[in-house]
Amino acid sequence: MFPAQYDDLQIMSHAVVGFPSLEENEKAIAGLAAAGVKLIELQVPFSDPVADGHTLVNACYEALKHGGSVQATLDLAQRVCARHPEVTFILMSYLNPLYRYGLEDLFEQAAAAGIRGMIVPDWPVEEIEPWLPKLDALGLAPILMVTPNTSPERVAKITRASRGMVYVVSRMGVTGHETQWGEKFQNYIAEIRKHTDLPLAVGFGVRTADDLEALAGKAEVAAFCSQYIEWQRDDGSEVAAQKMHSIIETIPQA
Amino acid sequence: MIRSDNGYFGEFGGRFVPEILLPALTELEDLFFGLRDDPDFWEEYVTLCQEFSGRPTPLTPLRRLSKQLGGAQIWLKREDLNHSGAHKINNVLGQGLLVQRMGKQRVIAETGAGQHGLATAIMAARLGLEATIYMGAEDIERQYSNVFWMRQLGSNVVGVTTGAQTLKEALDEALRDWAASVETTHYVLGTACGPAPFPELVSYFQSIISDEIKEQSQRQMGRLPDEIVACVGGGSNAMGAFGAFLEDHEVALVGVEAGGLSLEDGKHSVRLSHNTGETGIAQGYKTLFLQNDDGQLGDTHSIAAGLDYVGVSPILAYLSQQGRVIPESATDDEVTEAFSLLMKTEGIIPALESAHGLAGGFKRAREMRPDQNVVINLSGRGDKDIFNIARAFPQREWTEFLQREAARSTELLAQKRGH
Repeated sequence: MFPAQYDDLQIMSHAVVGFPSLEENEKAIAGLAAAGVKLIELQVPFSDPVADGHTLVNACYEALKHGGSVQATLDLAQRVCARHPEVTFILMSYLNPLYRYGLEDLFEQAAAAGIRGMIVPDWPVEEIEPWLPKLDALGLAPILMVTPNTSPERVAKITRASRGMVYVVSRMGVTGHETQWGEKFQNYIAEIRKHTDLPLAVGFGVRTADDLEALAGKAEVAAFCSQYIEWQRDDGSEVAAQKMHSIIETIPQA
Repeated sequence: MIRSDNGYFGEFGGRFVPEILLPALTELEDLFFGLRDDPDFWEEYVTLCQEFSGRPTPLTPLRRLSKQLGGAQIWLKREDLNHSGAHKINNVLGQGLLVQRMGKQRVIAETGAGQHGLATAIMAARLGLEATIYMGAEDIERQYSNVFWMRQLGSNVVGVTTGAQTLKEALDEALRDWAASVETTHYVLGTACGPAPFPELVSYFQSIISDEIKEQSQRQMGRLPDEIVACVGGGSNAMGAFGAFLEDHEVALVGVEAGGLSLEDGKHSVRLSHNTGETGIAQGYKTLFLQNDDGQLGDTHSIAAGLDYVGVSPILAYLSQQGRVIPESATDDEVTEAFSLLMKTEGIIPALESAHGLAGGFKRAREMRPDQNVVINLSGRGDKDIFNIARAFPQREWTEFLQREAARSTELLAQKRGH
């Protein structure tokens, strides 16, 4: 289930399939679910992840050495979707691995495995639109990205094609760096709300309890990904899940 | 020149980029579409190339070598005589005109062999722009002389240490920089690849090469050449050499890819000619990529850093599929042989990239008649390859010189620190 508009802020977190290993992915996801994370992206590792910063680039590189692939992602999805029905799993991938798998097949397999949404940063809205009837029929929500420099006309087009949520890229750049949440950001959010009733997932630069506090009441979802992967990399999945639990506790409730 | 159908050439091309880059690509496309049919703009560009880069570059007959090979007459289009030593400067000067019109103050570029980075550094210095050049750490080792000059020219050269640390990773990193800086920065893409409008835009500026070949061959041969041969990395020099001839079906167009060590995975950069490349979508565009069944882009190898690339121009992928461009490949060994042959017979030092065109062109010329003409695009000069060539032809005196030079250099640094 995706959150409803104006629900309290919740966390979306992340698994790079194959990082640090396929076995560890399952434990890490169980840890996230136990910590109270309700939305988890399963990222298909890719050799050339151009929208990601170094944390995820390096995680992809490691994941590919440890068996990460489209098929491994679908297999993992099958298991974790069944095991954690309270969590909504979202497929995150660059386009080429999905394209090579065969888009139509991939959509069907992903939906059958229990995946509810899809984030593909290098898949432009014009290329997604022809697939909407198919995706709607499968109940697989394309979660498209808007960015601070997206024109109002394009925001309208992108939000129209989005399902489930709209992914709001908080600032210019790639994942894994800090973001400012001032008035400029709030105006940006307000502009997007004019075009859609979908909940907003804010990503890029959500790294601290302060960031979550700033986002509470402004967005429905905070994508807490690179920082989590850094915890996982440096401290292991168990400690990373504990840290995630602590940070979720700090989120102000309405 | 070939025109895209909404960014596509047949099934190849397109614009598959994170949303954040879209406004800059649209702005660039609008500007380019508004200028490309304007004869005054082309004149401005040609004049700039004349004044700054010494164009037109000559078409040089290889009389001795043609006779020795016993086939067609071989001519070289001398892009090596450009300022900076390669055809890369053409595209960069053209994009410089666009940067000035957009009013951006910073440029970034990816580079493999360093020629495109060097050309960008030169343009940035001349126009007073800030420049950051992304280069794979592996390529920095292979082409250090170009890195040296880029830094002397005032550019910031950033070594990219992800993946195989070559051109593919440099392009990824340039795209990441651009995602953060797109409002103030122009990305000077160096080859006829990447998201629309770059393949079309780079081919447009490089087509000055084939415009000149056409005029020069009429004057020097009395007709059009029978074949034009160019090496293919990303494809910018090939598109430059072929562009004006696409409708002249009597002129065969031959693209020579890097056959590397063998056709085994990871040992070559052949995407067009042996069914090694497969359709994929990455780095902003759809083309034939070397990739595995999971859609992960593969590793490549070539003796020439500038050809060591995993994708290929979507225009060349299309023209090759249509049969208009004939794809060939040359191995590292064939390339060093052609390199020596040109040097010793004609007194010209080619870049290792361009020597792929020579290897492919010599092979074809041998099978042709003496009344036929082959033009090979000599896309760059070989001075930059002195270390690679020295490695291909090991000599004791070179190694001893390097040791003495290293000692002198270390001593100088120590003295400087002492003061």
